[in-house]
Amino acid sequence: MEILRSIYEVAWFILLIAAGVAALVGYLYTHFRYYDRGWFAGVALAGYPVLALAGLRAAGLQLPSAAAWLFFASALIYVFFRYAVKGRHTVPYLLLAPAFVGLALLLVYPFVFEVYLSFHDLKLTTIMGWKNTGYLPFVGLEQYVKVFTTSPLSEVSFWALLGRTLLWTFSNVFFHVVGGFALALLLNNAIRFKGAYRTLLVIPWAMPQVVAVLAMRGEFHSQNGFVNIFINKLLAVFPFLASLGVAPVQWLSDYPLLTCTIINVWLGIPFMMVVILGGLQSISSSYYDAADIDGASYLQKLRFITLPLIKPVLMPAVTLGTVWTFNNINVIYLVTGQSGGTEQADILVSALYKAAFTYNRYSYSAAFAIVVFALLFFISVTYLHGFDAAKEER
Amino acid sequence: MASVQFKGIVKKFKDNLVLNGVDVDIKDHEFVVIVGPSGCGKTTLLRMLAGLEEITDGEISIDGLRVNELHPSKRQIAMVFQDYALYPHMTVEENMSFALRLRKTDKAEIAARVDEAASILQLKKFLKRMPKQLSGGQRQRVAIGRAIVRKPKVFLFDEPLSNLDAKLREEMRVEIAKLYQRLNATIIYVTHDQVEAMTLAGRIVIMNHGIVQQVGSPIEVYRKPANLFVAGFIGSPTMNFLHGRLSLEGETLFFSNGDIKLSIPPYLLSDAKKHDGREVAVGVRPDDVLVGRDGEKCSDKVEGVLEVCELLGHRENLYIKVGETRLQATVEAFFDRSPGSAVQLCFNYRNMHVFDKATERRISE
Amino acid sequence: MTEKEAILRKKQLRYLLIHAAVIAAAVVCVYPLLRIFSVSLRPGDKLFSTDLSLIPDGATLSAYASLLKDTMFLRWLWNSLLITLATSFIGVSLASTAAYAFSRFRFPGKKAGLILLLSSQMIPAGMLILPLFLMIMKLKLMNTYLGMIIAYSVSSLPFSIWILKGYYDTIPRSLEEAALVDGTSQVGAFWRIILPLSTPALSIAFLFNFTTAWNEYLVARVVLFSSSQYTWTLGLFELQGQYITQWGMFAAGSMLVTIPVLAVFLYSSKWLISGLTLGSVKG
Repeated sequence: MEILRSIYEVAWFILLIAAGVAALVGYLYTHFRYYDRGWFAGVALAGYPVLALAGLRAAGLQLPSAAAWLFFASALIYVFFRYAVKGRHTVPYLLLAPAFVGLALLLVYPFVFEVYLSFHDLKLTTIMGWKNTGYLPFVGLEQYVKVFTTSPLSEVSFWALLGRTLLWTFSNVFFHVVGGFALALLLNNAIRFKGAYRTLLVIPWAMPQVVAVLAMRGEFHSQNGFVNIFINKLLAVFPFLASLGVAPVQWLSDYPLLTCTIINVWLGIPFMMVVILGGLQSISSSYYDAADIDGASYLQKLRFITLPLIKPVLMPAVTLGTVWTFNNINVIYLVTGQSGGTEQADILVSALYKAAFTYNRYSYSAAFAIVVFALLFFISVTYLHGFDAAKEER
Repeated sequence: MASVQFKGIVKKFKDNLVLNGVDVDIKDHEFVVIVGPSGCGKTTLLRMLAGLEEITDGEISIDGLRVNELHPSKRQIAMVFQDYALYPHMTVEENMSFALRLRKTDKAEIAARVDEAASILQLKKFLKRMPKQLSGGQRQRVAIGRAIVRKPKVFLFDEPLSNLDAKLREEMRVEIAKLYQRLNATIIYVTHDQVEAMTLAGRIVIMNHGIVQQVGSPIEVYRKPANLFVAGFIGSPTMNFLHGRLSLEGETLFFSNGDIKLSIPPYLLSDAKKHDGREVAVGVRPDDVLVGRDGEKCSDKVEGVLEVCELLGHRENLYIKVGETRLQATVEAFFDRSPGSAVQLCFNYRNMHVFDKATERRISE
Repeated sequence: MTEKEAILRKKQLRYLLIHAAVIAAAVVCVYPLLRIFSVSLRPGDKLFSTDLSLIPDGATLSAYASLLKDTMFLRWLWNSLLITLATSFIGVSLASTAAYAFSRFRFPGKKAGLILLLSSQMIPAGMLILPLFLMIMKLKLMNTYLGMIIAYSVSSLPFSIWILKGYYDTIPRSLEEAALVDGTSQVGAFWRIILPLSTPALSIAFLFNFTTAWNEYLVARVVLFSSSQYTWTLGLFELQGQYITQWGMFAAGSMLVTIPVLAVFLYSSKWLISGLTLGSVKG
């Protein structure tokens, strides 16, 4: 019964959203079609918001300011299409409309809202007042100053976090690429069971990340984790290793960042391997034949043929990988976050999440997020710029 | 079936002028080949007729009806694309019937028309196959079949044979010629291959740089090329051009470029005085450069050195150097002379063409 | 003869080394999964043993039984499935048309739109949660499926658009032109020709949307608060770390959510690979 009810519920939601998209497209269609008729301006400015408002109210939403917003949006759309588009690009805009309205509502609006928050002061003490009266104290750039001067958590400073993040990003991406490359080169040989190997090798990527990370975290547990058990067994067999300083380690409490890095490297290699393998397989074997005739060694072939030819595949993957690693909150949060413990492994984004949801410093975290976003944007633009330059060269 | 008119067609991509005032009249039941080097605007012209490209200026009409703003499907045309554009997810039969199904044609009628087209093109065995399972030639047939099924007023072919190998191309050329006789339709065919143009066309439209250079029957454009471009483009091997100056000596007009001096007979340039001192290019097809046995009879002989011989089988290409001027001659095999030896040659004045250097237009009769 | 044998021997050695290296890597990749499996089979009193054998002594399915009986695990799976399917459906349909506009048309704002898509990838994950939370609260959709669906629906949109655009770019334009001549409209050509041809890319986008939403927990933690509405990620969190007995159930639950996802993923991995490389090379 329950299950039937929830199916019904979700089907109804999907229908609702489909109806919303249809209404949106229909609205835009008439907009495009009649935008240059004399009567249309008035009708569009008055009629459509009224209709949309009626729809919203029928759907059970009673937002007093919605009318004003709808009116404003309608006027904006009208002006844009009347003076900027002039009916020439109807089809592409219609195709884009649903996706971009979605993005505007659920991505751009939250982003702008965060910018708004970052100039005000929203924290636990002001949130009730804000909820009741809508008043938030304006503090200007204070939050941004705080980002650079105070700690987002309790001890680490912004600069320490930044350094740690860069180290984390660089070492992860580096090992992803190196490991992925090595495995891809191995798999690119004509060996038996190639398909089976590839299947096994992508398992870390294919597993649900939450499960994978928590499982790996278990393996680093000081008593029950595989890593320490393995070290103990090793010591039992080769006692002389102990004199070399090999001993079980409290991974999670003593070396949390190293542990996170190992786990994330384990998680990320398969993606790079798959991308690089795809690239390797697209290189025509005639280049290698030509190099063989020219007498190139294996390493020379790697250096002068494989690397340059794989670059167009590798560069976007590396850029994307950098962004993802930089923003990777999952691994660090899952490994260190919940036990409420260490700050030693926090990078910028995990500190950001904790500042907002553990310490409830909303405005501060908003300013922090914008700084992080700007940083990442700058890094990627430099990256892509370099990539474009490399493209020009070829 | 229908006639097609292009009136003052202009096409601009941003500031780039692709077509500059094209006027062509195509009559009912005519097989017209538009030919030119790549980038001359011929495909753009065809796509504008199909309605796939906006018309910047001018007017296109089919059967006297202006079609500038008409949706492609309303123009009653069918098009065969260079890469065939067969829908990969439909069988041959579905590909051929797609347009009819869109128009909600009666099912029996669709079946009959597909069947007819398939039997004309010997495709009956392949109706249930997917395009992927066909060879290049078969795909080509399906693309043509898809056009036939619709019974359009005008067939448009956009370089249909350029993706086939040489042997298949010849076969399909003959197929298309046969098809034309059978359908008796208006066909507009775009190609960059002048052999296709010469063999298929009722009339050839030669284009370059977005301008129509000459319109005429294959024989006309071969025998009387209107300008230097047409002369160089039509005919294989390419025509020899001698660049030099005309001068009047007594009553006779002479051409000279330093290496070669020729008397120009009055049936080529009648008013000799008018042409005194003019910079010209004289064109002679390799067939009309007479060497060896053919050349023994003529009077104005030129001394040259044989550089390279190419044996083609029944003919032989000779590359001859006269002073600094290089000439190509085509003679009957076997021309039994070794490279480096001296040869005598002369020209067949009847088939010689004289073009003005400045205007590039033909000035000979 | 001996020289030939030596070469052969060298070649065999090479292949042996390759196999050894790949097998070692594969073991590292698979081992944690096997360990969860082994933990999930352990009887309750031996959960924290240092035993490394794959099938533990006294292996039992009691963890699975108590997971299904004593917790709302099935309900959590069901919640996750509904939310994820709805989100993926919406995400892919929005992306498919938008990507078509980017692939086939020139229009003012095209470049800006693409840059917006790219830069949206750089927004830190924690940044949008608070505004989304406030929005969902204002819409009175806390603790509901719809709230989750709304929050998730655009999260994979930029990447999906990117992948689909890359794929559309490889479909020759002449196909649509042929369809236009045959009598479809521009949108009709998209619907009848391009979409059916793009099934591989659409599946990849769907898979991508699916896995993102399936594995998400940061937003879910904020939006969902009653345990009957939990997704499996939140549910597993609840099992994990509090009491000793639940470690076994956690492992059992992990196995149950991993196996179907793994199966789908491995089944479609060929498409996934071609789709990823296409997207990145031609994007």
